[in-house]
Amino acid sequence: MKRFERFFSRASRLRGEIFLLAVVSVFLPGMMWAADALTQAQMVDILKGIDLRIRSGGDYKALVYLEQHQKDKPDIAQEALVYRRDIDQKLMILFTQPKTDAGKGYLRVDRNLWYYDPTVGKWERRTDRERIGGTDSDREDFDQSDLAGEYDPQFVGEEKLGNFTVWHLKLTVKNGVDVAYPLVEFWVDEATGNYLKRQDFALSGRLMRTSYDPKWDKLYSDSKKGYQWFPHEIHIYDEIDKGNSTLVIIQSVDLSALPENMFTKAWLETKSR
Amino acid sequence: MGWALLLLRISLRNIFSSFLNVIVGLIILAATFFFVVGGSLVNSMDKTMSKSIIDSVAGHAQVYESSSKDKPALFDSWQIPDLDPIPDFSKIKGPLLSDPNVSAVVPEGVNTAIVVYGNTIDQILEKLRKAESPGAGSIMEPAQSNPGPPHEASGQMTRQQRKEMIDSLKAHVRQMIFVIQNDMEKHNKIGAAGSVDPQSIKDLQHAASPAFWAGFDADPLNHLEFLENKIAYLVPDSDQIFLSYVGTDLDAFAKSFDRLQIVDGGMVPPGHRGMLLSKYVYENMFKLKSAHRLDQIHEAITEKRQTIAKNPDLQDLVRQNREQTHEIVLQLDPLSSQKAVSILQGALHSKETDLPKLLSSFFDTNDSNFEARYKIFYDQLAPMLELYRLKPGDTLTIKTYTKSGYVEAVNVKIYGTFQFRGLEKSSMAGSLSLMDLMSFRDLYGYVTPEKIAETKSLEKAAGVKFVPRDQAEADLFGGSTKTDVVQSQPKAINDEAAMGGAKVKRVDLTRQAYTQDEIDKGIVMGAAVILKDPSKLKQTMKNLQAISDKDNLGLKVIDWQQSTGFVGQFVNLTKLILFLASFIIFVVMLVIINNAVVMATLQRVREIGTMRAIGARRLFVLFMVVVETMALGLVFGTIGSALGSALVVLLEHVGMAAPNDWFYFFFSGPKFFPWLNAGSLIGAFIVVVIVTCISALYPAWMATRVSPIQAIAAED
Repeated sequence: MKRFERFFSRASRLRGEIFLLAVVSVFLPGMMWAADALTQAQMVDILKGIDLRIRSGGDYKALVYLEQHQKDKPDIAQEALVYRRDIDQKLMILFTQPKTDAGKGYLRVDRNLWYYDPTVGKWERRTDRERIGGTDSDREDFDQSDLAGEYDPQFVGEEKLGNFTVWHLKLTVKNGVDVAYPLVEFWVDEATGNYLKRQDFALSGRLMRTSYDPKWDKLYSDSKKGYQWFPHEIHIYDEIDKGNSTLVIIQSVDLSALPENMFTKAWLETKSR
Repeated sequence: MGWALLLLRISLRNIFSSFLNVIVGLIILAATFFFVVGGSLVNSMDKTMSKSIIDSVAGHAQVYESSSKDKPALFDSWQIPDLDPIPDFSKIKGPLLSDPNVSAVVPEGVNTAIVVYGNTIDQILEKLRKAESPGAGSIMEPAQSNPGPPHEASGQMTRQQRKEMIDSLKAHVRQMIFVIQNDMEKHNKIGAAGSVDPQSIKDLQHAASPAFWAGFDADPLNHLEFLENKIAYLVPDSDQIFLSYVGTDLDAFAKSFDRLQIVDGGMVPPGHRGMLLSKYVYENMFKLKSAHRLDQIHEAITEKRQTIAKNPDLQDLVRQNREQTHEIVLQLDPLSSQKAVSILQGALHSKETDLPKLLSSFFDTNDSNFEARYKIFYDQLAPMLELYRLKPGDTLTIKTYTKSGYVEAVNVKIYGTFQFRGLEKSSMAGSLSLMDLMSFRDLYGYVTPEKIAETKSLEKAAGVKFVPRDQAEADLFGGSTKTDVVQSQPKAINDEAAMGGAKVKRVDLTRQAYTQDEIDKGIVMGAAVILKDPSKLKQTMKNLQAISDKDNLGLKVIDWQQSTGFVGQFVNLTKLILFLASFIIFVVMLVIINNAVVMATLQRVREIGTMRAIGARRLFVLFMVVVETMALGLVFGTIGSALGSALVVLLEHVGMAAPNDWFYFFFSGPKFFPWLNAGSLIGAFIVVVIVTCISALYPAWMATRVSPIQAIAAED
């Protein structure tokens, strides 16, 4: 524990994301932290670590498969391309399969989340609670992460999740920040720093959904000069409509540069003219 | 015979001989009056309401898929019933029409759509984006063009017209930015300093700058992106409308429901996709809110003789109009704003130049100035405003949540508005709009076998295993799982391949026409059956069920009352209430009459004893009391029936005004004209006689127990 504190006090003097990224990528997985309650600073550092891993240094493109299971209803299976340019906080989700959904998409620019349906040629504003493609996933499942900026953490305890020893953290949204879920609980793998389980709550404290991220994938990013992490699969269980669940598989990720002007309405429209 | 005449004479003589008899008589009178009037009202309402239901949507009977969990509930639009679709309407239409009493079978299904309107600035920017878009509308050369305004429906306009339209929209956007800037400044001044994001203020300054607009034409799409993403979200007046509709074969519907009247625009051309909005919905949901509120106040004052001074609801409407002027301010471009200021200054004799303040003062109406301002609004201000969010000829984008849970959207052209004759102001009859069957099917999101196959193919290609909720933690983190880290190899993603190799092509379905065969072949949620002779409804329903069973059509046949959910049960509920009220009145009558006759009998102990002493038999005494009470019942029952009948006949001529929109439906119009129901009249009479007879039995038995000795003792 003392070793950890000494390390982070030195780290805090050396400002800059690159150093922290290096810390997270190289040292964090190997650290054997003690079972004592984490300090506020340690929890914030854990969240920063998660944010840094998920945040891309340049552009990001992923081929994603979504499968929605619903009680007494037929399954929905979709494929989509997810484009991100985290430095500008831009995100685009373009559905490619099935044929009836191809060309539909979401575009996030600044505080706006737009939805485009080429069937009707119309753009609509959506909120952060939007169920992407009618599934239980939301925008945050595909976007970069800013847990440290948006939430204040609280330590719940050290727990076991299957074969994994995890830290259980409870996050409460900071004043004035607009997020899909104001209360979130995370179970973070002590060994790797990846979160494995997440529960989202409404302001009333009602549990809305539980998601599991059992596999984390990484690709070396030249722009980031480090690894770009992403959950390989996300299992989301609807806690309101019991029996509904969504499986998100990030099939592949491409970190090549994207066209400069692609995060625009005009670009998404051209996919279905 | 002599006995009977004697008893009759005694009973008639005694009717008004006692105060207690008068009390009993008045109770009988009131009960008979209640039965005659109540029975006639319920019976008449049953008939008028059934007419409203049958003539508006339901038809005489409905058929639906027998495997469905629920029954159709045509007017319960807040809760769509869980119905299985009938896979092919063409396969049931012929067999049902083979019954000689069936005149028409009209496919029907009810659903609720959501119409999303962005905020006011979003809507103008959308128009500007469409005008600037390279593919939006073809450009006609001046020689080809017709004089007059651009024809948006055909998408054709001259270059000059397009430029004028773009310039007008740009001016409007600049005006809106000016309004938003003013609002922000005010907001900051009202002690909310710091609540406005400084970046938003900078963005507004940039959007308002001449430099921004100077560069607009050179790169319109990027400028629009800036306005859409940095400015538009600052206006929080976006809106969504829930629209209930019946998906039907519009031609067949119009022919079968002859109360249907087109109010604005026209009928959807045969075989085309399109929608007719209910006039009620059009006025309540699509009209400029300030104008609609003025209409409501105007109607209350002129038709219902209400006053603003005494009616808190009207005062609330005035307050809302006074406070919510933003919708109008944002609608006006700079020229119109100047004109509006000038009109309002004249109307208010004011020198104020701030448009929101002027509007607020203008809408601060009272009973003395309301009508004058109402006239000024419609004569002078309304021509500059878009009174309705959409007009006949416009295309509406509507979306629904399908049974599968995802969202489907279609563009539907609005051809006009309609109402059902006699039910113009009924919120119930006006709650449903009409949509063509093809658009309805698209919105229903029927999962075709092809779509199921496509889903299975995607699932198979993904090769993933579904993990049930209760096993998730054990399966995902237990067993041999030791690490959560994997490492991929870089792999380029080919966008074109992911999209299937080509751009998705979209067809403008609003212009597509369909044959009757194409309309009939496909799913429907149910169908209305119209009969030639409605009096044979029950027999025809049996016949239709037999046809379905014989031909394996899988249908269930129900009458109009069962198919209309809560509304259809309203009459049954009313009848039940009447029955319960009647039962309570019977019991009360029985007890009161019984007690009164017992008291009256006790008062006559001497008389009865004397009669017994001079030779009257016990049976004579028994009959005397019973006949007396029955005579009371007959006399006062007749008076009660006559008074009740007179009231019903009066109401039949004068009518009862519907107290609110709901009652328009139950009354089948703005006034209810009940008629005298022979059943109620006869029933009331019989019931009253029986009840009085029963209640006289105990006192009559008591009277037979009176002996001459008791009579003498009573005298002592």
